[in-house]
Amino acid sequence: MQTMIPHVDPLPLPGPVWLFTLLLLVVFTLHVAAMNSALGGGLWTLWNYLRGRHAEHVYSRRLAQDLASMLPVFLAFTITLGVAALLFVQVLYGNFLYTSSILLASTWLMVIPLVIVAYYGYYYFSYKAVEGKGIAGCALAISVCILLTIAFIFVNNMTLMLRPERWLEIYRARPNGWNLNLGEATLVPRYLHIVNGSVVLFSAILAQIGMSRMKKDAGYGRWLVQRSALVFAACTGLQFLLGMWLLLATPREIAMTLLRDPLAGGVFGMALVSVIAAMLLILLGSLAEKPSKLVTAGFGVSLLTLLLMVCLRYLLRMAYLKPYADLGGLQVQAQWGVIVLFVVLFVGGLATVGYMLALVTKAGKTATAK
Amino acid sequence: MNYPYWQLGFPGGVLIALVAVLHVFVSHFAVGGGFFLVATEARARRTNDAALLAYCKRHATFFALLTLVFGAVSGVGIWFTIGLVSPEATSTLIHAFVWLWAIEWVFFFVEIAAAIIYAKTWETLSAGEHQIIGWIYFVAAWMSLFVINGILTFMLTPGGWLEGHSLAAGFFNPTYWPSLLTRTAAAVVLAGLFAFVTLPKDGAREQVARLGAKWMVAGAVVMPLGLWWWSARLPLFSHISLGMGVTSVTHALRGGVGFSVAALLIALVCGAWKPAWMRPPVVVVLVLCGIGMVGAGEYLREYLRKPWAVNTLVYANDVRASEVAAITANGVMKSAKFLPHADAASPEYGRDLFVLQCGACHAVEGYRGMARRVDGWDAAFAADILQHIHMLRGTMPPFAGDEQDRKALGKYLAGLNPEWHLTITAANKLEMGKKVFDSRCGHCHTVNGSFRPLRGTFEKATAAQVQEVFPALSAMSSNMPDFNAPADQAEALGFYIAHEANLPLPANTAPAQMPTGTNHSRMRRPVKPGESATAMAKVNQNSPAQEVR
Repeated sequence: MQTMIPHVDPLPLPGPVWLFTLLLLVVFTLHVAAMNSALGGGLWTLWNYLRGRHAEHVYSRRLAQDLASMLPVFLAFTITLGVAALLFVQVLYGNFLYTSSILLASTWLMVIPLVIVAYYGYYYFSYKAVEGKGIAGCALAISVCILLTIAFIFVNNMTLMLRPERWLEIYRARPNGWNLNLGEATLVPRYLHIVNGSVVLFSAILAQIGMSRMKKDAGYGRWLVQRSALVFAACTGLQFLLGMWLLLATPREIAMTLLRDPLAGGVFGMALVSVIAAMLLILLGSLAEKPSKLVTAGFGVSLLTLLLMVCLRYLLRMAYLKPYADLGGLQVQAQWGVIVLFVVLFVGGLATVGYMLALVTKAGKTATAK
Repeated sequence: MNYPYWQLGFPGGVLIALVAVLHVFVSHFAVGGGFFLVATEARARRTNDAALLAYCKRHATFFALLTLVFGAVSGVGIWFTIGLVSPEATSTLIHAFVWLWAIEWVFFFVEIAAAIIYAKTWETLSAGEHQIIGWIYFVAAWMSLFVINGILTFMLTPGGWLEGHSLAAGFFNPTYWPSLLTRTAAAVVLAGLFAFVTLPKDGAREQVARLGAKWMVAGAVVMPLGLWWWSARLPLFSHISLGMGVTSVTHALRGGVGFSVAALLIALVCGAWKPAWMRPPVVVVLVLCGIGMVGAGEYLREYLRKPWAVNTLVYANDVRASEVAAITANGVMKSAKFLPHADAASPEYGRDLFVLQCGACHAVEGYRGMARRVDGWDAAFAADILQHIHMLRGTMPPFAGDEQDRKALGKYLAGLNPEWHLTITAANKLEMGKKVFDSRCGHCHTVNGSFRPLRGTFEKATAAQVQEVFPALSAMSSNMPDFNAPADQAEALGFYIAHEANLPLPANTAPAQMPTGTNHSRMRRPVKPGESATAMAKVNQNSPAQEVR
C-alpha cells in the first residue's frame, strides 16, 4: 500500500518553528495538567463520593464535596488550553493531523457532543453533590466514563497521525470515518499510561491541596496528604510498568531514539530521575505526623516531570515523522509585529486573570477572617 | 485532492452549517448577554432593586451554563468540523492568521476565567469588584468577536491581502467594519431575547420583560444598517448570486426578515406590552425565531461566498485555485492522494470523482441532491457541461480533472436517473419542451427571466428557426455544450423557447438584467499559469459599478 502525505500549505509559516514548538509545548503541558485534573480528579471524586456514602468515611464525603465545584473548572481549562494546543499543532503538523482526523472523522467528531454531556454532568454533580443522592453519583460516573472514552478517541487519533503508511488502507476500507486505530501496538499501553498518569498527577495536586487544608483542619489535611501520597506512589509504580509496556510496543527504531539521540535520551533520563524524586519527596513528606514541605517540593517536581514527559512525547513524534516531515525545510515569513502584539496581550491577559484571582483570594481571606 | 474526503453520507457543508448556526447563536449571546448582565446588575445595584438583582444572579447561572459549556465546546466543534470537511481552507486560514487566532484565544481565556468568577462570586465579592469582573468579561468577549470577525470576513473579501499578504489589509478588509457592526447588533438582539428565557414569575418580571424588549429593539434598529453597509461592500459575484432569484437565497432572505420581525413582535407584544403572555411556549417560539434569524444570516454568508471557501484561494470543494490547472493537465488519478479506488477504469471511479469534487455541497438525493438536477442528461452532455460547470450560475467551482475524468464523472451523473424515453405529442409538446429546457438549458438560462435570458435572441423566431440554432451552439460560443438531444426533444425544445420568447411581457416588466452571453463567471475562474494572483484578485474584488460597465 502506498504512503500518501498531503503536501504542506503553500503559505509560509507565519513564525519560526522554534517559537511554535515552544508555545505548543507550554500550552500542551498546561492542557495536560488541566486534563489530568479533570479526569484524574473525576476518578478521585467518584471513588470518594461512593466511599463517603458510608457514615464512617467523613473525610471522603468532604473531599468529594470539595472537588465537586472544582471539576467543571478543570474541564473548562482543559478545553480552553486544548484549543491553543490544537491551534499550534495545526501550524506545524496540520497535514498529518487533518488527515488522521478525517480518517477517524465520525469517531473524532463524537468528542464534541461527548464533552458537552460530560461537562453538564460535572456541573450537575457540582450542584447536587452536597445532597449525596444517587443520581448525582450517576451523573459523575457517566461524565468520568465519557472522559475516559474521549481520552481513548484522542489516543487513536494521535497515534494514527504518526502512521501515514496506514492511512490509505484505512480510508479505502471505510471512508465514512467510523474508524479507530486498533491495529496500533502502542494504543492500549499509551491509553493506560495517560489515564493512570492523570491519577498520578492529580494525586500530587491533591497532596498539595491537602497541605493547604491542614491550616484549617489538620486532621482532614493530613488524611488527604497521606492518602494522595499513597495513591501517587502506587500509581507511579504502575506507571513504570505501563511505560515499559509502551516502550516495548513502540517500533524499535523509534524507541532507539531514546538511546541514540542525546536530547531525547537526556529528557528521558531526567524524566525518570524526576519522577523517582517526586515519589520519594511526596512519600517522605507525607509520612510524618505533620506532613512537611517535602510534599510541596514533590508536587513541584511532579509538574517538572509532566513538562519533561510532554517534551519526550514531542521528540518521539518527531522521530515517528522524521521520514515524512521536514519542519526545518518549511518556508518561514515571520509576522513579528503581530507576534509582539500577541505576547503583549498574552501577558496582559495573564495579568487580568491574576487580578481577578487576587480579588477572589482577598475576598476569601476577608470572609475567613470574619 | 490533497486530503481524503470524509464520506459522511450528506454534504459536509450541511454539517458545518448545523454546528455553526448553533454556535453563532450562543456565542453572540455570550457577547451581548455579558453586556446585558453587567448593565442590568449596575442598574439593580444603583436603584437598590433586590428583585432585579436576584434575577441577575439567576440569569448569570443560566448564562454561564449555556455559554461556558455549549458555547465554548460548540466553538471547538467548528474547529473540528471545518478541519474535517475543508482542511485546505482551514489550513490556509491558520497559516495566514494563526497569530490573530492566538490573540483571540487570549481573549477567550480571559472570557472563560471571568465568566466562571462572575457566576461564582455574587456573595463573596463587593458590588464594585463583582461588576469589574463583569466588565472584564464583556470586554474580553467583544474583543474575541472583534478578532474572529476579521478572519470570517477575510474569507469573502480578502481585500488588499492578496496583493502582498499584508495582515492588516486582510484583517481590516472591505466587509470587516459592517460585519462587526451587524454582529454586535445581533449580539444585543440576542441578549434581549435570552432575557426572556429566565424571566422571573413575579418580582422583576415586568421590568425584565421591558428591558429584554428594549435591548432587542435597540439591536434590531442597528442590524439592518449594518447589513445594508455590508451588502454594499460585497464583491460583484455575491451581488449576482443575491440577485439571481435562486429559491434558497430568496427563502433565506425572506426567512431572515420574517424571523427577525416575528421575534421583535413577540418581544414587543408579549414582553413590553403584556409580560404575562410570555409563557414558556412563547419563549420557545421566540428562541426558535432567534435561531432562524441567525440561520438565515449564516446561510446567506456562506452562499454569497460561493464558489469559494476562501475567496480567490480555495474553492468550496476544498480544491485550491492554484492547483486547478495542474489537476486539469495531469488528471485526478495522478493528483488526488486519497482516491477510494485505485483504478480509473473501474465503475466506481465516477462516484469517487463525484465524492471528491462535489461532495462538500452535493449528495445524490436530498438537500442539494444531484439526481434531480441532472435528470435527462446523457453521459456526453454531462461530460460537456462539466467543462463549463463554473459558467452555470457562477456558484460552482471549475471541474478539476482531465477529459477522462470528465467522461467518468459524466457517466456517473447520467446514470443517476433512468434514461428518458419521452412520448411527445402535439398535446404535451409545450410541457415536454419545458422539461427539456429545464434539463438542458435551465441551469444557465431563462427565457424571460433576469438570468441570461434568451428572449433577446429568439423573440420573433419560429420554433423551426430556434431549432436550427441548436447544432451550431458550441460553434457559436465556446461556453456552450454540444447539443445532442434526440430529434423529438429538440423539436419540443424549439417549440417551447419560441412560444415563451414570443409571449407578451407583463406591463412594467424590468428589462433583462443580463444579456445572453454575459460571462460573469470570468470573475471566479482559476488563476491560469503565468497569470498573477493580483490580477485575478482585482477581478474578484470588482465593485458592481465597474463590472456593469
